[in-house]
Amino acid sequence: MPTILLVEDNEMNRDMLSRRLQRKGYSVVTAEDGEKGLLLARSEMPDLILMDISLPLMGGWEVTRLLKADDATRHIPIIALTAHAWVTDREKAIEAGCDDYDTKPVEFTRLSEKIENLLAVKK
Amino acid sequence: MILQNLSIKRKLTLITMLTSSLALVLFSASFLIYDLVSFRHLLSQDLMTQAEIIGYNSAGAMEFKDEPAATATLSALTAKEDIVTAVLYKPDGKIFAHYFRSNATRPSYLPSHLQEQSYRFEGGYLEVFHDVTLNGEHLGTLFLQSDLRQWSERAKRYANILIVFVLVSGLFAFFVSSKLQGFISRPILHLEDTMRMVSVNKNYGVRAVKTYGDEIGRLIDGFNTMLSEIQQRDTVLQSTNGELKTRTQELEEEIFHRKQTQEELLNAKHAAEEANRAKSTFLANMSHELRTPLNAIIGYSEMLEEETRDSGKVENVQDLKKIQSAGKHLLALINDVLDLSKIEAGKMGLHLETFEVAQVIEEMVTTLQPAAAKNANSIGVHVEENVNVMRADITKVRQILFNLLSNACKFTDHGTIALNVGQMKIEGKNWIQFQVSDTGIGISAKQKENLFQEFAQADASIARKYGGTGLGLAITHRFVQLMKGKISVESEAGQGATFTVQLPANVVVETTESAPSEGTSNSSVTLPGTKTDLDTILVIDDDPSVRDLMSRFLTKLDFHVVAAANGEEGFRLAKQIRPLLITLDVVMPECDGWTVLNRLKNDSDLAEIPVIMVTVVDNEARGLDLGASNYLIKPVQRDRLAVLVEKHRVARSSTITETSSVPLYVADGQPAHETSRARVSRTRRN
Repeated sequence: MPTILLVEDNEMNRDMLSRRLQRKGYSVVTAEDGEKGLLLARSEMPDLILMDISLPLMGGWEVTRLLKADDATRHIPIIALTAHAWVTDREKAIEAGCDDYDTKPVEFTRLSEKIENLLAVKK
Repeated sequence: MILQNLSIKRKLTLITMLTSSLALVLFSASFLIYDLVSFRHLLSQDLMTQAEIIGYNSAGAMEFKDEPAATATLSALTAKEDIVTAVLYKPDGKIFAHYFRSNATRPSYLPSHLQEQSYRFEGGYLEVFHDVTLNGEHLGTLFLQSDLRQWSERAKRYANILIVFVLVSGLFAFFVSSKLQGFISRPILHLEDTMRMVSVNKNYGVRAVKTYGDEIGRLIDGFNTMLSEIQQRDTVLQSTNGELKTRTQELEEEIFHRKQTQEELLNAKHAAEEANRAKSTFLANMSHELRTPLNAIIGYSEMLEEETRDSGKVENVQDLKKIQSAGKHLLALINDVLDLSKIEAGKMGLHLETFEVAQVIEEMVTTLQPAAAKNANSIGVHVEENVNVMRADITKVRQILFNLLSNACKFTDHGTIALNVGQMKIEGKNWIQFQVSDTGIGISAKQKENLFQEFAQADASIARKYGGTGLGLAITHRFVQLMKGKISVESEAGQGATFTVQLPANVVVETTESAPSEGTSNSSVTLPGTKTDLDTILVIDDDPSVRDLMSRFLTKLDFHVVAAANGEEGFRLAKQIRPLLITLDVVMPECDGWTVLNRLKNDSDLAEIPVIMVTVVDNEARGLDLGASNYLIKPVQRDRLAVLVEKHRVARSSTITETSSVPLYVADGQPAHETSRARVSRTRRN
């Protein structure tokens, strides 16, 4: 049962995404801001992180950078989610160390494919 | 000289007087001389006669040596005032008797010897010698001396009369000439007055009055004719002048009006640009704000649909699908509106890359298979062998093809859709042609008119039956235009349709157009539209190949590049566009790079603009001394240039961010790339 950490500040999206992921059979941990996300990532050691980019307090880029700079959490794949969908966001995400990238509104089928791919690589 | 400068009046008077006086004097003098000469002759005759009488009377006395009788005879001369001396000489020359007028004193002068009977003028006196005879016997000689008193008195009197006469007649001549000279001088003076009036008052309407028909009269006539001509010319000149003035005034007014209009237009333009920016910002905000709830709507409805299907309530599944479908329609609409507003604002940039056409086609067909299958259509693809790679904005090419193909799928039922791709050469350029044909409902001639207009589906019933935003073809059309391509359609109602798109095999971005702003810079979000010169780089270089190379390279880095071929033009453009930064060559004809740099740095408006020297001249110290920000030696290392320009862009945009309240994402936030991908997947799910 892989654990996914969902860092997302919008309550509805957090609720909806976590429930859909649970239906898919994942165990989901949620955080509503960057700081909590960082703490949870370190304490829960999830198998994968879905990271909203525009987060309050600490931005998604920064959390990602911190996680990727830490030997303990570096191996956890991170998928960046953004509502802005800039071309540059994709490059920025890769540069920050994200393993993949998707835009909101989330195409759930496409997102779960990406999750499966990353988890499969990890195994 | 003084005489010459006298007035005509004086001159005339003077001449008249001189002439008449001279004539008078000459006449009087000659008369006087004649009179005096004849009077003298008369006097001498008279004295001779007297001598004869006295000689006769005293002849007896001398015969008888009667001296007292002779003296008495001589004394009778007392009555004759002018006779000064009378002497009777004996034949031996001795004095016999005498008479001296001045009281018996013997005069200083007496003739020393006797002469023959004669008269002579001697020392102002008239002297007469007369022989005294009696019966033919010579008794002696009589000497008479007259002082010509009568003559000199007469001469004196005559002279006085003459002087008075000359003076009186001179005076008279003066009066007469004074009166008469007016005949000549008056018209001349009148002419002079008239002339003075004309020259002082510039009044060409006055005329001199002609009094007589003489030369002066003709002079006045000539003068008047001349005045008339001048007046005529003056009138013409004045009217022309007036016209000129009126015209100048009109022109000035026109210039003023135009300036005003220009200003108004400029203000209107600024207002419009401001409004457009506000619109872009608003749309970007709306897009974000609309997407977040849409995210929830679509997500929850998908989730509910899965749950409902699992629990077996099939009748609710259809309703949930409708919610999803409506949500996605709304999302597509938002995306399309955003795309269009970006195009309209000139913010839709081109990201050129080289790609294989066949590969894109293959992906496209795979993506569209579900859409084709929905209406039981088959898709046939034919790519000609000569089609290889093209250089264009791949995302926009995809979206063009996607829009055309999905339209074909939508409007065709149980038919075939054909995609033919070929390459051709038109006017020396390679073009890639995409042709999408279907066997669907077709388009009528009337519908064709508005086919590429926004929100114009062929007719309202189509929207009801087939859905869609009505923006697909408009966006397709704009994208084709952006890449300088052509789109056309051939169709008849009920006979299917064929859309043909021709794109250059090598799309070129025009650097002079509004800059593409979806930057590759990722250190901060750029703010296109906040200020037009934000991302403009001015390249000053005399070498066209360098200009071209730099333009291409910098355009790829998402800068708007303006190039200048010489220093003068460069300076002018810098003032005009206020670029983000300037790259400057040193070796240029006429105005070299150092001069340009110096001028830029001494201009308070331009001094802030960073200048990167790009040159073969190795003199970094001089460049930096003159105020250049960086110094690159040709051939330029592209990486280094990229880092430098990027640094300046970041520096500029961060200052703008600090001082501006514009939100950090704008209309550009949604790149076409992602939009199209979203749409592809969306359709696949339908």
